[in-house]
Amino acid sequence: MEIASEEYLWYFFKNGDVNAFRTLFEKYYPPLHAYGIKISHAPELTEDCLQNFFIYLYENRADLGDVKNVKSYLFISFKRRLLKKLQGRNTRTRIGDTPILGLPVVFSLEEIAETQQVRSLCTETLHTLLNRLPPREKEVVYLKYYCEMNITEVSEVMEITYQSVLNMLQKAMKKLRKESENQLIINILKKH
Amino acid sequence: MGTDEQKLLGKLLDDASFINWAKNKNKNDLEYWNNWIGDHPQNIEVIENAKAIVSGIRFTEQLPNEKKISREWAKVLAHIEDKREFEPQKSGKNGKNKIPLAAAAIVLILISWSGFRLFENFSTTVHKTGYGEIIDLKLPDGTSVVLNGNSEIRYEKNRSRDIHLKGEAYFKVKPVPSTNAKFWVHTDDLKVEVLGTRFHVNTRKEKTKVVLDEGSIHLEFINGEVKKMVPGEIVSFSKYNDKAVHKKVAVSTPYAFWKDGTYTFNEIPLGEVMQNLEYTYGIEVKYESDKLEGYIITGGVPNQNLDICITAIERATNTRIIHKNNTLLIQENLNN
Repeated sequence: MEIASEEYLWYFFKNGDVNAFRTLFEKYYPPLHAYGIKISHAPELTEDCLQNFFIYLYENRADLGDVKNVKSYLFISFKRRLLKKLQGRNTRTRIGDTPILGLPVVFSLEEIAETQQVRSLCTETLHTLLNRLPPREKEVVYLKYYCEMNITEVSEVMEITYQSVLNMLQKAMKKLRKESENQLIINILKKH
Repeated sequence: MGTDEQKLLGKLLDDASFINWAKNKNKNDLEYWNNWIGDHPQNIEVIENAKAIVSGIRFTEQLPNEKKISREWAKVLAHIEDKREFEPQKSGKNGKNKIPLAAAAIVLILISWSGFRLFENFSTTVHKTGYGEIIDLKLPDGTSVVLNGNSEIRYEKNRSRDIHLKGEAYFKVKPVPSTNAKFWVHTDDLKVEVLGTRFHVNTRKEKTKVVLDEGSIHLEFINGEVKKMVPGEIVSFSKYNDKAVHKKVAVSTPYAFWKDGTYTFNEIPLGEVMQNLEYTYGIEVKYESDKLEGYIITGGVPNQNLDICITAIERATNTRIIHKNNTLLIQENLNN
C-alpha cells in the first residue's frame, strides 16, 4: 500500500497536483532536512538548498520521469545537489582534486534512543562507539536505522553496490556487538 | 569473510523466518533456527552478525517541527504560485481539460492571514466571526458553509460561487448538475476549484478507478486523452495497457479512497475511517462508546495534516476528538 500510494502520489505530482506535491513535501522535508545537516554540517546552506530543490522538482516535474522508489530518488537527488553546493563553497580549501563526499555523520547523544535491543550497552557507550565508526559505515548505519531504509535504498543513495552496503553494515554491527559482549562480561565480573 | 559467508548473510537477512528468530518472535521459527544453529555451529559468527543487523540501533529522530515545515512549505508555495501568475489565468474556458484541484463535496480550507487584499465595494457580502465563534451559513446558491472562529468570507452579489476566504471554513458545495457550475474559493495562497460532485477514485498498484455519483467531471489520462464522466459510471485506466474501461455501477455501494491528498468516503462508518488514519499516522484511536464507531461519514477529509483531518471528521460526525500524544479519543459533541 505504501509503495503503491507513493507511486500515485508521484503520478499526481507530475501532473501538477499541488496537494500531492504538498504531501510529498510534508513527508520528505523533515528527513531530508535532517540528512542534509548530517552530511553538510551547515544548517543554513542545507535549508536554502532544500527549498530550491523542492522548487526545482515542481518546476521540472514533467521531465522527471517515472520514479521506482520515491524515497531513494529524493535522497540521492538532494544529496548530489547539496554536495555540489558544498563543493562550490569549499573550492579554495579543497586539497588536490579529491571530491568532497560530504562530511562524516556525527550522532548526538539525544538521538540515541534509551531503549536498545543490545541492552548491555548504555546510551553513552553506544554513542561513543557509533561516532568512532569510519565515515562510510556511519552513513550506512544512519540511512539504514535512522532513515529506516532497506539495503537496496541505502545502496542507491550511497551509489555503491548492495554487497558493499551489506559488508559495511556487518562490519559496523560486529564492532558494536563485540563491545557489547565485552561490556556484558565486565558487568558480570563486577557483580562477583 | 568468505564468499559463502557473504551469501549466507544475504540469505538470512532476506528470510522472514530468520528475522522472526532474531526478534524473538514466533515459536516455530525460534525452534527451527535454534535447531539449525545447533546443526551448523561453524556459522555462529554469521548468525550473530545477522542478528545484530536485524536488531539494529534505535534512534530518536531530531526533525524540524511542524511549524517550521509549514513555514518552509509556504515559501515554496509562494515561489511556485508566482511562476503560475504568468501562465494564462482565465481557466474558465479551458478548465474542463484539467483534473480539478479538489473535487470532493466537502472542502476544508486553512489559510494564513498575511497579505489578503480585496477590492472592496458596496455590492460585497461579508460574513465574519470573532475568536472562538462558529457560524453556519447558507449561501444563495444552496452551498452550506461552517465558518470557524476569527475567519471571514466575502463574495460579490450574485456571485456566491466565487468566494474569498480568510481564516478557516468548511464547505458543503451544492451541485448544479444542469450547468456544471464550478465553485471557487480564493485565498491568498491558492485557488480551489470545486465541482459540486461526489465521485470516487480508487488507485491500486496497476490502475486507477474512478466512480462518479453525481454531477459531472472531466478526466485527463496520462496519454493525453480527455474523458467526460456521467453519474453512475466507473472508469478504470491503466498506464500499462493504455486503455480505459467503462462500465455502470450501483452507486449505493459504499467505498473509501484516497486522492490528491484527500480521503473521500461514501457512507463509511467512522470506525473504518479511523482505521485509515491509524494506518497513515501511526496513531491509536479510542472511542468513548461503541456506537460512535458506527457513525457514517460521507465526503472528503484532507489527509496531509492530522489536525486538519481531525477537524474535518469532527464536523462531519458531530463529535469531539481529543488528540493527546499518539492517541485520539472520540467523544459525543455535547455542545449541540
